[in-house]
Amino acid sequence: MDERMVDAIARRAGLERALGEFPDDVAAAAISAAKATEGIRQSSGMEPLSEPWPPMVVIRK
Amino acid sequence: MSELHWMAANAAAAAIASREVSPVELVKALLDRIERLDPRLNAFLHVDAEAALKEARATEAEAAKGRLRGALHGVPVGIKDIIDVTGLPTTCHSKIFENNVAARTDAECVARLRAAGAIILGKLSTHEFAIGGPSFDLPWPPARNPWNRDHHPGGSSSGSGSGLAAGFFPMALGTDTGGSVRNPASACAIVGTKPTYGLVSRRGVFPLAFTLDHVGPMTRTVADNALMLGVLAGHDPLDPGSVLLPQSCDYMKTLEHGVRGLRIGFVRHFHEVDMPADPEVVAGLDRVALTLQSEGADLIDVRLSALQDFAAVNRVILQSEAWSIHSEWLRNRPGDYGRLARRRLMSGAFIDAGDYVLASRQRSQMIGEVEAALREVDILLCASSMDPACRIDEPEEIVRTYMRQARTPFNVTGHPALAMPTGLSRDGLPLSVQFVGRYFDEANLFRVARTWERAACTDALHPPLVE
Repeated sequence: MDERMVDAIARRAGLERALGEFPDDVAAAAISAAKATEGIRQSSGMEPLSEPWPPMVVIRK
Repeated sequence: MSELHWMAANAAAAAIASREVSPVELVKALLDRIERLDPRLNAFLHVDAEAALKEARATEAEAAKGRLRGALHGVPVGIKDIIDVTGLPTTCHSKIFENNVAARTDAECVARLRAAGAIILGKLSTHEFAIGGPSFDLPWPPARNPWNRDHHPGGSSSGSGSGLAAGFFPMALGTDTGGSVRNPASACAIVGTKPTYGLVSRRGVFPLAFTLDHVGPMTRTVADNALMLGVLAGHDPLDPGSVLLPQSCDYMKTLEHGVRGLRIGFVRHFHEVDMPADPEVVAGLDRVALTLQSEGADLIDVRLSALQDFAAVNRVILQSEAWSIHSEWLRNRPGDYGRLARRRLMSGAFIDAGDYVLASRQRSQMIGEVEAALREVDILLCASSMDPACRIDEPEEIVRTYMRQARTPFNVTGHPALAMPTGLSRDGLPLSVQFVGRYFDEANLFRVARTWERAACTDALHPPLVE
């Protein structure tokens, strides 16, 4: 993720203050997120049918 | 009686019931030890000495009349400071909550301990909001490891692990979202259980990530862990994740049944291939496997997804859910977080919705995979930490070794998991093992753990604290 992208996402998330005061931490957070999501995408190979939504349960009164 | 501070919770409860030990005498001995040793360990954020002594006197008077509140009558306990205790502020070890008002009610887990007669000694050190630590830029210093105070005690339930190993209390509450009960258990040579998701209520506990958070018992012995979990377990209609229990939670009945006939799946690739472990950790795991085999268990090799895949799913879900909790403060008060928590919590802002859904899908697959393995075996045996605890003042080494662990898979899947010691390294630092069970089958988890404890006398491990 390049610097401009990090800046844009941080602003969209409302992190202007953190960008001003802790730019290194914002950049580190972006790198950490990128590493985590890269791990998901590489190992996923998911079928579109494998939805995470659980089945509905009938409540017996 | 000498060495009251090493007394196990079940032994203390029995001694109090038979009036061989007074709760006042026990609490005073522990408060005295805390006063002498905690300034060098920082396990406590707040010692509630007055309230503890008041409760000790009350339980003593009740015991004298033969009235016992429950299984933990008069036994002291420490509470991780993200868990509400009536009359005390919950600070989450953070400047954000430094001036928090006192909690008006107990968290459900604390209420259950109190109802069983436990005495709250105080609030314990944690990583900031159970994620950012060990940190030196917070209002309170980080807890240190009693085995070597230059080393970290694991986290995030760091005060719980440190205080148990130091003999400050026989039981503590911890929480576990990515391994935070089992990490200090591994680093401090104590016993820590992350129960099945939904077994113990999280109501009154400050959340880190709703679908990964667990409250768990931390003790010095397996029997105490089983006893404490029996008190904590139970349905809470006000915790949406809490389940109606399918069976009894008396884990003491089968504790000494041994492992003959149990099938134990050894997940070797976690520590041999995915994250090659320190040779002393490997030797400890092999000792456990051989011992259980010699006690009559069948040992079978089991293969699961790579640790890195579990870790990625855990991180995407954890960071996303944590961002949803902390985003307002991160926008308006970023400077009130320590650097580590600020970095880790802001990560969620950079994870898109699609990745969260992808991680949730992958999580379902991983649950199916572990369930399939546990249809073939009764218990999984695997590493907890791949290395002994590193120095607390080496941030790069902490980051490197924190990732080298096999705990997050079972936050992702919700299976119960227990970490305990295998022995000590040549440098005198704790080494550890992890056992994993089927959903709500903590009884077998404790059986296996107790068999290892009995064979290796791991409950006799105490750090050589210089007083």
